[in-house]
Amino acid sequence: MIASVIFPAVLALGLIGWFSTRARAKLLYSGRGSMHSMPGYHAWHLALWIVLPALLVWGLWSAVSPVIVDHTVLSEPVAAQIPSDPVQRAAILSEARNIAEDPGFIGFYDESPTLAPAMKAAQDHYGLIGAILVAVAALAGGGYAFTRVRSGYPARTRVERLVMLALLGASLLAILTTLGIVASLVFEAARFFKDVSPIAFLTGTHWAPANAVGDDLNANFGAVPLFWGTLYIGAFIAMLVAIPLGLMSAIYLTQYADRRARKVLKPVLEILAGIPTVVYGYFAALTVAPAIRDFAAALGYQNPSTESALAAGLVMGVMIIPFVSSMADDAIAAVPRAMADGSLAMGATRSETIKKVLLPAALPGIVAGVMLAVSRAIGETMIVVMAAGATARLTADPFASMTTVTYQIVQLLTGDQEFNSPKTLSAFALGLVLFVVTLILNIIALRVVKRFREAYE
Amino acid sequence: MTQTKLPQTKLTARNVDVFYGDNKAIDDVSIDIGNGVVTAFIGPSGCGKSTFLRSLNRMNDTIAGARVTGQILLDGEDIYDREMDPVALRARVGMVFQKPNPFPKSIYENVAYGPRIHGLAQKKADMDGIVEKALTRAGLWNEVKDRLTDAGTALSGGQQQRLCIARAIAVSPEVILMDEPCSALDPIATARIEELIEDLKSRYAIVIVTHSMQQAARVSQKTAFFHLGRMVEYGDTHQIFTNPREERTKDYITGRYG
Amino acid sequence: MSNTWKSDAMTRRIAARNASERRFRLLGLSAIVLSLLFLALLLFIMLRNGLAGLDWSFLSGSDSTDASAAGIWGAAKGSFLTMVVTLVLSFPMGVLAAIYLEEFAPRNRWVDWVEVSINNLAAVPSIIFGLLGLAVFINMAGMARSSPLVGGLTLALMTMPVIVISGRNAIKAVPPSIRTAAMGVGASPVQVVFHHVLPLALPGILTGTIIGMARALGETAPLLMIGMRAFVATPPGGINDPSSVLPMQIFLWSDEIDRGFVQNTSAAIIVLLVFLLAMNGLAIYLRNKFEVRW
Ligand SMILES: Nc1ncnc2c1ncn2[C@@H]1O[C@H](COP(=O)(O)OP(=O)(O)O)[C@@H](O)[C@H]1O
Ligand SMILES: [Mg+2]
Repeated sequence: MIASVIFPAVLALGLIGWFSTRARAKLLYSGRGSMHSMPGYHAWHLALWIVLPALLVWGLWSAVSPVIVDHTVLSEPVAAQIPSDPVQRAAILSEARNIAEDPGFIGFYDESPTLAPAMKAAQDHYGLIGAILVAVAALAGGGYAFTRVRSGYPARTRVERLVMLALLGASLLAILTTLGIVASLVFEAARFFKDVSPIAFLTGTHWAPANAVGDDLNANFGAVPLFWGTLYIGAFIAMLVAIPLGLMSAIYLTQYADRRARKVLKPVLEILAGIPTVVYGYFAALTVAPAIRDFAAALGYQNPSTESALAAGLVMGVMIIPFVSSMADDAIAAVPRAMADGSLAMGATRSETIKKVLLPAALPGIVAGVMLAVSRAIGETMIVVMAAGATARLTADPFASMTTVTYQIVQLLTGDQEFNSPKTLSAFALGLVLFVVTLILNIIALRVVKRFREAYE
Repeated sequence: MTQTKLPQTKLTARNVDVFYGDNKAIDDVSIDIGNGVVTAFIGPSGCGKSTFLRSLNRMNDTIAGARVTGQILLDGEDIYDREMDPVALRARVGMVFQKPNPFPKSIYENVAYGPRIHGLAQKKADMDGIVEKALTRAGLWNEVKDRLTDAGTALSGGQQQRLCIARAIAVSPEVILMDEPCSALDPIATARIEELIEDLKSRYAIVIVTHSMQQAARVSQKTAFFHLGRMVEYGDTHQIFTNPREERTKDYITGRYG
Repeated sequence: MSNTWKSDAMTRRIAARNASERRFRLLGLSAIVLSLLFLALLLFIMLRNGLAGLDWSFLSGSDSTDASAAGIWGAAKGSFLTMVVTLVLSFPMGVLAAIYLEEFAPRNRWVDWVEVSINNLAAVPSIIFGLLGLAVFINMAGMARSSPLVGGLTLALMTMPVIVISGRNAIKAVPPSIRTAAMGVGASPVQVVFHHVLPLALPGILTGTIIGMARALGETAPLLMIGMRAFVATPPGGINDPSSVLPMQIFLWSDEIDRGFVQNTSAAIIVLLVFLLAMNGLAIYLRNKFEVRW
């Protein structure tokens, strides 16, 4: 509530500062070279000096004030009768906070409503103090900058230094995200590995987290069937579809299609890459999987399941086609034309030239593209969630239902929500494995692509 | 048009035009190219030498939008006839490019490539023989015989170009087209290629495009001067360089432009 | 010599090679045709199942356990709020990072790490970002589950690398002569970038941003991780309210047993695809209209 007043107020103050300073600085301007920085920079300098300290103080205060508020409320006489168990105390305080904000809120604990008035009073009190602190910060910052509006002051250099800091900060966010991923996965996985041995997890062949209670954890967290399902669907079946179709599409587009056909076909093919995976998943479940089940039945399978590795892998393969095709396209285009000319001039046909000269020359690029495609396929979630199945099973039967790492992550984290059980923590261990494997694939592939490009300049 | 051909004429072009889309790059060129001699095409850059050369083995077919009209005869057969297969034609009319372009394969496989796709050797021993003969004729055998499995791209520039010549020779062509084969090479490598051309000329009809008039004078017996898509003058090399009939030829070889 | 090429054996051989050439070409064409047929089949089935369900009550309603009463307005609003959060965070951050890396970054190990990070983040499976969102925003920071705020934050982390990469390419495409010209009239490096380079690179950056946003709009897996799969019958009022998004609505309905939801699911897919097609169309239009070839 207080936030909705302070934030606009600070911005308004900054805006007023900006306009008035620009006007004031313009009065100082008396022709070329009379000032170090143009009036606009003085305006920015002052506005930033108002807004940034104010927001900083506000941020700090919002972090600190709830603690102070809780402390104050607990020292009130009404708080004397509430239980001393810290968990219950926290829950009651949180309910009281909700009631203070919304009197219609119905809490679970009887004590909460009695604390609410004290809570509200404390919140208002410290909210007011916060608002005053913010105002002081804004005025102090603005006042300092106000005294610097002089013709010789390097306002531009100061503002630009801040801009550079913002640029640097933004690029560090990428590293921060990577570190965040690594830290959260490693941290939660480490908690999982306290209960389950990594060896059992990585080499065990029995996966049944639902049965995992007590001492038999190691026996029920064997993830090999998941790894197998993931590779069988993503790295085998999907690639069986995507590599030939993607590669042949790229060959046709780069070597045979005339410019007009290429201009139409390429974007249309790329639509396949833009379709959300949930749509593929639905299509797989609605159309492809039943068709494959009927096909399996026609082949003489007893009770074929609707969900099958083949259905998921097939649809995933189609989804990856444009990706493989565009990677292969790039790789083939990077081979110098002189190479193909040399072969054609010997009397080789176009297809002989492609098979014997172009593809071998483009091979590193194509292999790297396939690695990136595999990395995508094994990390793909929705298609397998909707079409692959939940059964952890070590089989090479494409008509059988099979589960994957991503499917299990979803399964483990969307059912019940007791967060600290080995069951939910195992999802992070699976995530860690997935992250490491895709990271390795990506790093190798990006290296290969880079070196390959350099080889042909 | 039915001019009596000299017995040694290998290639005959009559009223050849080449277009890139709507652009006419070659305008009404007629020429007889003899067997057992070296013919040089000279002229300022962009005048259409490469374009005309490529029309002699139908490499223009591989360029989108390129079109050839008129008649080009190889031993009296129209090479643009429906009956003529460009695959066989290009084996008979080999080509060497400006920049050496060996395949990213071993030296042996580079030379064996043509015979293999055309099925010219049945047994490994036959293939070895073809490779050795081609490399010997290209003057490269002694330098590479101990490292035939090394990558062709690992050779020096001059060696690479001779490898490309060996590659073309390996399918026993009748004509060899060379498009500025020395322009990417140093003077010593250039001299070796020129010697090689001298050795090869008795067995093949050789056409060489060059921007160096000294080179044309050194290696060729016949010279054709091209300018703005037309063939301005064609005659014995000695005559072209000492006593050109056309004013434009004279201006070019005396360095007035080009 | 030429009779090698005229012999019967050689003629037959060449005919066979030409036949294999034609077969190969046909193979290439059929690869494309097959892929496009699959696309056509997918679109056809969605249209056949869903077109009848696209009426006003569907577009204006929210989720319901009754298939005939359920609509997508709630999910669409959730998607909109989530996308706003994603855009507001990832666009400025992505552009600033792209500027830094392309124009100011020194060549050192740190910057190499940033680059490797960004290139890899663009290829990390989306579900991993979901795990990050769950661990950091929900478990650590205690933000509201299932809210557009957390969804938007998570998707912003995923989208930022895409914007950085396309932004860098767009900035790289601005010719150095523009920079030297601006320097020549006395602009500071920051002024060169913000007054000259950035406006010229903007169409390219916007194109990349739209493509990144389209990807985020179709994303489901990371949002599953942060609990956006709840049944939400009222449209969210703000970015902290529980909410669904379009792809999640599709996923939830696809699980319903009632046949009526097949129509709803397909209709929702049509709506989602129309949005995505419009965004991609806009990106292509921007690229064609403003792309300058130097
Ligand atoms: N692939 C092509 N597409 C379109 N025009 C071309 C192509 N190759 C050459 N040209 C044009 O044809 C003319 C002759 O070029 P070229 O035969 O390469 O000349 P030269 O080899 O004598 O330098 C030039 O004007 C050139 O621009
Ligand atoms: Mg040329």
